[in-house]
Amino acid sequence: MTRKYELVYVVSPDATDAQVADLHTQVEQITQRLGGSIEKTDNWGRRKLAYEIGPHKEGTYVLETIDGGGELMKEIDRRLKVSDLIIRHLVVRIDEEQTVVNRTRSKRTEASQRRRIARGLPPDRQPGEGQRGDMEDDDRFDMNEVER
Amino acid sequence: MNGKRGFGGGGGGRGKTAGQGGQQGKDGQRRPMFRRRKVCKFCADKIDDINYKDTKLLMPFVPERAKILPRRISGTCAMHQRKLRTAIMRARQLALIPYTAE
Repeated sequence: MTRKYELVYVVSPDATDAQVADLHTQVEQITQRLGGSIEKTDNWGRRKLAYEIGPHKEGTYVLETIDGGGELMKEIDRRLKVSDLIIRHLVVRIDEEQTVVNRTRSKRTEASQRRRIARGLPPDRQPGEGQRGDMEDDDRFDMNEVER
Repeated sequence: MNGKRGFGGGGGGRGKTAGQGGQQGKDGQRRPMFRRRKVCKFCADKIDDINYKDTKLLMPFVPERAKILPRRISGTCAMHQRKLRTAIMRARQLALIPYTAE
């Protein structure tokens, strides 16, 4: 019964690439020691922060997807809190949400396929089908409206 | 009789459209309100996953002051507004989205 977590941490802009890589290996070591595994690592590179955190205006974002237990994430969280180089981090559990998302998605496609078959159409939507253009739906909120 | 009907019929629609009968003095101010039917963006576009990493998706829901846009304006449905809220709060923690405008 492993859980899936997502970890994002923001490394201080002063850190060199080697230091960022070092942090990654540290996280990897902890996961291995506590019986987890890293599924995916993604370095977003340097980004501007939405607000200043202490003296920093930029940060290097790293995303890791980790399989493991709660104890492991607790340990990682503790270690990241202590680290000086890391200015922000966030641990989120994602497996439950993912199953829900997948379920709704498959449910929707199934339902639409069933409906289409009932109408005597091929189960998948053909290109060029549908009465209205796909993106020109005017009913939608387009961010420039003000309620009066 | 006429006056009575004006009272009864005028309030039939929304409160804001106001009655038209018998108000000759200020007809210039009240024009019929056009209001769009609001649709939840996430339901309409079939976005199941409101993710905190997707700043492009979230930014329109935090206008200039960086406050979360209320449902009454954006038209988002209750379920998606809740998901949106958690996503925005997570994104704020990581400085992907501001807490306030400076």
